Amino acid sequence: MSTRALPEAIQAPPSRRSDGISGFLFALPHLLLFATFVLVPVLYGLYISLHRWHVLAKEHPLIGLGNYGAALSDDIFWIALRNTIYFVVLIVPLGNLVSLLLALGLASVQRLGTFYKIVYYLPVVISIAVVAVLWRWMYNTEIGLINLYLGTVVGWLRSIGLPLAPFEPLPWLSNPSWVMPSIALLTVWWTAGGNMVLYLAGLSNISDDYYEAASIDGANAWQRFWAITWPLLRPTTLFCLVFSVLGAFQVFGQSYVLFTSIQGGPQSGPARSGLTLALYMYLQGFRQYEIGYGAAIAYLLFAIVLVLTILQFRLLSNRDDATAKA
Amino acid sequence: MRTLLRRSQIWLHIPMFLLAVLFLAPLLWMISTAFKAPEDIIGGLGTMQWLPRPATTENFRTVMGRAEEFPIWRWTFNSVFVSLAVTLLVLTVDALAAFAYSRLKWRGRDQIFALLVATMLVPGQVLLIPSYLLIRRLGLFDTYGALIFPAAAGAFGVFLLRQFFLTIPVELEEAARLDGCGPLGILRHVILPLSKPALATLGIFTFMGTWNAFEGPLLFTDTLTMRTLPVGITIFQGRYNIEYGPLMAAAALAAIPVTIAFLIFQRHIIKGISLTGLAGR
Repeated sequence: MSTRALPEAIQAPPSRRSDGISGFLFALPHLLLFATFVLVPVLYGLYISLHRWHVLAKEHPLIGLGNYGAALSDDIFWIALRNTIYFVVLIVPLGNLVSLLLALGLASVQRLGTFYKIVYYLPVVISIAVVAVLWRWMYNTEIGLINLYLGTVVGWLRSIGLPLAPFEPLPWLSNPSWVMPSIALLTVWWTAGGNMVLYLAGLSNISDDYYEAASIDGANAWQRFWAITWPLLRPTTLFCLVFSVLGAFQVFGQSYVLFTSIQGGPQSGPARSGLTLALYMYLQGFRQYEIGYGAAIAYLLFAIVLVLTILQFRLLSNRDDATAKA
Repeated sequence: MRTLLRRSQIWLHIPMFLLAVLFLAPLLWMISTAFKAPEDIIGGLGTMQWLPRPATTENFRTVMGRAEEFPIWRWTFNSVFVSLAVTLLVLTVDALAAFAYSRLKWRGRDQIFALLVATMLVPGQVLLIPSYLLIRRLGLFDTYGALIFPAAAGAFGVFLLRQFFLTIPVELEEAARLDGCGPLGILRHVILPLSKPALATLGIFTFMGTWNAFEGPLLFTDTLTMRTLPVGITIFQGRYNIEYGPLMAAAALAAIPVTIAFLIFQRHIIKGISLTGLAGR
């Protein structure tokens, strides 16, 4: 599967006759939209990024790689990159682990499976604007639901004699070092259901015969997971990891809704702790009107994501081949 | 998979149920808060009441009663209209294009299709700044066109439908051709009727994706009356950032239609994801 699926998918079955111009005409309406709002922007964005381009300025002088050089020597760009990578490192393993565990549970459960599946998937269909507004309320230090419950639990544990310190409300969104973990936590809640369904589909493709044979050989659940599920699930895992990384690098809405949209607050979180590459592109392009610089940030993001995607396919699909041969 | 963990179902249900509670809790808290009086929300320190007592619709009236500042009905209309328009447009142009890439033979077909597939790996954010400038130049800025056309331009739907069309036996098409059907007739009378599951999946995903879309509507519109619900909520939050009652009422209003749509179509949606590998937005 995985890498080999794509070239095969691109080739349509050969047809004996040619439909001439009518084939192109059928594709044309979509092609017009595609050309105007995907293809041209991809190229135009690159062009913009090579210019000093302020929205209000009449002239847009060509400065070559000037914007890219400026980004690489801009401390704030590096803060945004560091925060983004921190988010990716938190969300990709954690999110995929949660999705996989949920899928394993769903695959094993005999009753109520549909109920669990609907509940776990439900947050996925809700807009990030709603999700972030809601979690900002739950993360409230004084009267947020999470701190209220944590306080109750700690108080209860103390009352039964556990030697715990009195509960200090956690600064979810006010302490810079808590901000990215808090965003990652709400993102796990928001997105885990999506990959869960993909893992579940992957699990259902594994034949029951393997598990029965392993059970007869006396393998326990843990051994069955490592010997059967994990290797046979690798194409699904690869797919989920690649698209998780792709999605996580683009994190924007969370920080925008939690911080940027709040008037009078720090635009990108306390001490810029919520500043991501996509948010920095937005702030440069649409708040400072430096769209040349913003476009360069977007292309640096693109380059990073592209390299990582290729690397993941290389690393993970080679191992895929090795296990297929073994 | 059935045989894995067969004996210990109850030990499976306990964590699964606790997780289900954890996944539902934020949404229930949103609805609970939306029906609470302000003093129960702010003064609710340590009370953690899940059932609002007394329940009040005051927050909803607050949200709806400031039409000049927060035209929530207009935002709702915009969201509904734009989501329907994008869904209709995507189903039409993507079905035509998918037919061209799967069933018709023409010069450059495979090269163009490879180009479409290649762009699916481009992060959406790369397109935002250039699209913004193009939209301004085309005179579409702050119009429904800006909300509809870019949202319908992606290659994913074409890819999805094409893969589905390829599974339909060519013999059916040949039979229709002998009966005198042209390409359009074959698409209408053979391909589309057999592709209802794929069209339904694409339609539902497009609708939900457009309903929840955030970055495009944020950047491609400007005036209060052209905003959609998700952007509208953040505008509302910007002004009333600690009035959690009205804020949760607004959030609930935006979340409920898409939640109902999901509950109605959940079977299609979940099956659709496993078929297509599309995990949400």
